[in-house]
Amino acid sequence: MTNRLTTWQAGGLRFLTLGFAAAVSLTAGIAFLDLIGGNRPGFLDWVRTILLVLTGFWLVWGGTIGLLGALSPVTRRRQDLSRPEGKTTVLVPIYNEDPVETFSRIAAMNRQIVASGYAEFFHFAILSDTTSLEIAAEEASEFERLIVEPEASGRIFYRRRERNVGRKAGNIEDFIARSGAAYDYAIILDADSLMEADTMLAMVRRMDADPKLGLLQTVPVVIAARTLFGRMMAYSSAYFSRYFARGAALLQGEDGPYWGHNAIVRVRAFASCCGLPVLSGKPPYGGHILSHDYVEAALLARGGWKVEVDPELGGSFEQGPENLIEYAKRDRRWCQGNLQHRRLIAAPGLKFWSRFTFVQGIMAYIASPLWLTLMAASLIASLIPDNGGERWGATPWIIGGGVMATLLLPKFAIALRGAIDGNNAKFGGWRIAPAVLSEIVISTIIAPVLLGFQSRAVFQILFGMDGGWPATERDAKAVSPKTAFAASWWIVLTAFAALVFMAYAGPDFLPWLLPVAGPALLAPFVIWATARGGERPVSTWLFSVPSERAPSPIITEANAILTSWRASEPRMMSTLAEVAVHA
Amino acid sequence: MKHQPFQPIDGLPDAPLAMPKQTLERAPAFGSIIRAFLLVWQRS
Repeated sequence: MTNRLTTWQAGGLRFLTLGFAAAVSLTAGIAFLDLIGGNRPGFLDWVRTILLVLTGFWLVWGGTIGLLGALSPVTRRRQDLSRPEGKTTVLVPIYNEDPVETFSRIAAMNRQIVASGYAEFFHFAILSDTTSLEIAAEEASEFERLIVEPEASGRIFYRRRERNVGRKAGNIEDFIARSGAAYDYAIILDADSLMEADTMLAMVRRMDADPKLGLLQTVPVVIAARTLFGRMMAYSSAYFSRYFARGAALLQGEDGPYWGHNAIVRVRAFASCCGLPVLSGKPPYGGHILSHDYVEAALLARGGWKVEVDPELGGSFEQGPENLIEYAKRDRRWCQGNLQHRRLIAAPGLKFWSRFTFVQGIMAYIASPLWLTLMAASLIASLIPDNGGERWGATPWIIGGGVMATLLLPKFAIALRGAIDGNNAKFGGWRIAPAVLSEIVISTIIAPVLLGFQSRAVFQILFGMDGGWPATERDAKAVSPKTAFAASWWIVLTAFAALVFMAYAGPDFLPWLLPVAGPALLAPFVIWATARGGERPVSTWLFSVPSERAPSPIITEANAILTSWRASEPRMMSTLAEVAVHA
Repeated sequence: MKHQPFQPIDGLPDAPLAMPKQTLERAPAFGSIIRAFLLVWQRS
């Protein structure tokens, strides 16, 4: 049984949710205009209102997806234990990550696949784009350890490109050009991905059963977090993401997303539709397509293939950044990738929803500088005398309450749904109450810091600065106060200037600025404090997640292999010269 | 489901699959008209 909507139903639901978000944000805009300008609004009042409506729309839209997910029924699929028909390669593109960690995860996944009895249907290909010769040498020696794993010979491959043309998308394209015809499906993972064999088998069976299915995306859960920031994100991913994904899946229908990893693709569909061109012009807007995943999903949908996300497919894991600085670095990359999509909104033949997804991705980043502009405009407005227009009584509390409700309602709805459907029990029952409240408090405190980083990223890109594509250091944990200050002194300065300005120009409004300017003023402390716990995980009681309370067998297996590999030397220590041979 | 013959070998399988480049950029709306005009202009 499936609750996948027909095209017409999905279209109707899209119309309703977009209409709802528009109605709510317009209502908020009218109330705001009355509050600031009454019936005689000035130019700046109109500017501020338009900014509020624009940013409010995307806020409400995001909240609506969460609410929809909390209210939507769960898809229960009949368990399919049939023998897989298609041959699958598990692709693991790597780029300067820790080889011991990555390869031990591959060893764990291979052992599970072998134990399932379907090893002949699954190969693994490690596609290295590593640029550091030292790490490449480690990769080569760790591969020697991997290749003696059960039935690994002839099933697990490693190759390294000397030039990482086209980055990750180019890496996969290179594999398909060389070996793609040998496989029906490719499960694409990241270096930090981990997936149960049962999940891989379920994905293959879904592809076998539906010849029009071009891509099936899982919703990976963040695991192995140790710092306060990392654990909060992991909790959020484990507790909220599935519901948000359910809501999004209802709206997306067969024009779903691809997040670049933890997904399966039909190789021939992918090859025929997803050869990415190099965009004309120079970076940041021209050159290789950075956020290739959204584009590949759009191209598959353009080619008539179904692209679906299944939030109910468990056993799919990834790791996330452990501190705000690493998060901001990753966000900078994604920001450039999403803003580059403005070149593709009008690409020929794309489906409406694919174009909308591009706009949504762009707005996810543009919203931050728009909020900042709204605040700056409000600061300036405090200098301008009131026009004295008549008001019908909107208060700042109505606007503030509306924003709070938009942010919090979906989370509370998910908590309520979790109490009904048994999801809360997996997180310790009543313990979700302090965890969800802490998640809300911490995410509120870090939001202004992220607003600063994101706004800077957007401005840098608008001014034509190319941020490149640096790897996220997922192992980077603790942040020293010095590093935290070096990364965020300009946020402190901006917040201080805003507070001084407001204290001078409109002290009555100072309390309304404090929730944003306060955490921004303490940005270095916020970065340092949330990165604590690198050596030993913190807040394990508070942010207690199912992957630790009752670890999935693949997590236990991967941890055991990693511990044993860390304790012993690789079989053969490769030299840099040997790397050259492998390359 | 059809399978291509495949034998595991040392190293990645030699089974190339073409991945044609897709068209994503649309020419400017009036680009072709302007180009046609300039072409005529150059000829004259």
